[in-house]
Formats: sequence, C-alpha cells, structure tokens
Amino acid sequence: MPHKIVNGQQVELTEAEIAARAAEETAWNAGAFDRAMIELRSKRDRLLAGTDYLALSDQTLSAEMTTYRQALRDITNGITTVEQIDAITWPTKPGA
Amino acid sequence: MSITRIQNANAFTGTIPADNFANATLDNVTLLPNAPLGDMVLVSSATASSSASIEFDLSSYKEYKFFFVNIHPSATTGNPLFQFQCSTDNGSNYNTTITSTHFRAGHNENDADQYLSYNTGKDQAQGTSFQSLTDGDVGGDNDQCQSGMLQLFNPSSTTFVKHYIGHNNSVHANDVCGTVFSAGYFNTTSALTNIKFQMSSGNIDDGKILMFGIN
Repeated sequence: MPHKIVNGQQVELTEAEIAARAAEETAWNAGAFDRAMIELRSKRDRLLAGTDYLALSDQTLSAEMTTYRQALRDITNGITTVEQIDAITWPTKPGA
Repeated sequence: MSITRIQNANAFTGTIPADNFANATLDNVTLLPNAPLGDMVLVSSATASSSASIEFDLSSYKEYKFFFVNIHPSATTGNPLFQFQCSTDNGSNYNTTITSTHFRAGHNENDADQYLSYNTGKDQAQGTSFQSLTDGDVGGDNDQCQSGMLQLFNPSSTTFVKHYIGHNNSVHANDVCGTVFSAGYFNTTSALTNIKFQMSSGNIDDGKILMFGIN
C-alpha cells in the first residue's frame, strides 16, 4: 500500500491522499517541457557566455566561432517536445 | 571493577596531590562529572522505503537541522527533484507562501561541462509550491542519490517570517554532480507546525532523514 512516514512511523495513505498525490504528479509531469526548455536555454546561455570575450571589439571572431555561436543561438529552433531536447547534439566549440 | 579516580590536579604545575589518587570499586564512586549534553537534540529520524513522503511535527526549538543521507528516488520518470514544504495547520495543507533563491554548481563525470548559475526555474516569488532542494533530476541508478542538509529557523515564531537554508549535493541521471544552495523564507507569521519532504514525482525509494532540534 502507498504510505508516508510521519515522525518515523509508517502510515498508509488515505484514498484522498493518493488522489492528491496523483494530481501533484500529473501537474509536475505537465510542466516537463517548460522545465526542460529552461535548462536548455540555461546551458545555451552559459556556452555563449563562455565565448563572449572573443566577440569583443578588440578581437576578431573567426568564421568557425561565428558559426558555433550562431548554432547555439539557433539550438531552440523547432523544439516542441522533451524528447527533442533530450536528443539535441550540441555544437562542438572550435579552438579559440 | 577497579577504577582510578583523580581529582584536583593543579592546572599550572601538573601536580596531583598524592591523597587524591584512589583505587576504588565503581560502587564507591559517588560523583562523576556531567557529560556535556549540548543543546542539539536528535528529535526524530525516518528511513524511507518506497515512501510517498516523510513528515515531521515541528515544536518550539529555535532551530531545526535536517540531514539527508543517500536519498534515492524510486524512478527517474518525470525528472524527480527532492522537495519540501511546511504546514501551518497541523499537516492538513502544505502550501505556505515561500520566497526563495536557488543556485547551483555542476560538473560532469566526463569532465565535459562545469557551471555555476542561478536557477530561475526552481526559486519561488510568493509561491506556495513545494520548494526544490536539488537541481536536475536525482538519478535512480544505484550510484546516484542525494545527500545534504536543511536548516529551519524558529518555525514556531508568531512574530517573524521563518528562514531556511538548504545545501545539497546530488548525482543526476546524466551523471552530473550537482550542488545546490537554496535559501528563502516562509512568508507567514503563523507558526509552522509540520514539515514534509517528497520527490516531485514518484516515491522516495531509500534514504534516511535525521531531524535535530537546537535551542
């Protein structure tokens, strides 16, 4: 039986608690895509920031680095499912 | 049982008066120094076994400290996070208003990625959801779990809000070591009466939570 532990003692969940827990999990799973997109953008932004110094006005950005940075910016294009996010192949950072 | 009792050593010279050496039986000892008890008390503990949640009653300790030891989710379906919330109505509802921060550091086992960043998706601004103490999905493999701690300050106060500070480390399903600092406050002047820990999805398969009270 589904249970919880209260002050160290195992207590079986009531039908209402089971239903409430199921509703919580449904809501959580419904937000999976949004959470995955946040993580995707966070990593993309981090990788972009890691090469920002190469785009300063006193630097010359190589064509390979320009392509790499554009690929990072485009990484979210056409993404509509968590499965697509999980299957993303990140571009390889060229030698700086 | 024979024991030796030494009293009144001179702390400056190291001299111990001869008449203070005495061999005696344990039955003859009438005074032993009090062991320092301290003010940190193990109030309760719980070991999960495919448990939906772990809950504790809160009382009047000025501070509570929770230790999480090898918390292991039942599955990685739904990318489960380890979360907590508090109740102000003796456990009937766990939806107290929280404002919190959440930042993290991560490092892959394959050394391919390292990061330190604020986690916009897991903080709350006057939210009533369960607060995440971990980042990403806590892995369900046998070499993946989460350990850490949570401090909760003066939950019985009816004057001030109640702060918390959490520091946890987890191994994610994609073999990332993720360290999370989350801190915030329960924006209520009602006393917090109960605390509840759970995975955002699925059960807590295994692991132990120790609850200490500090006065």
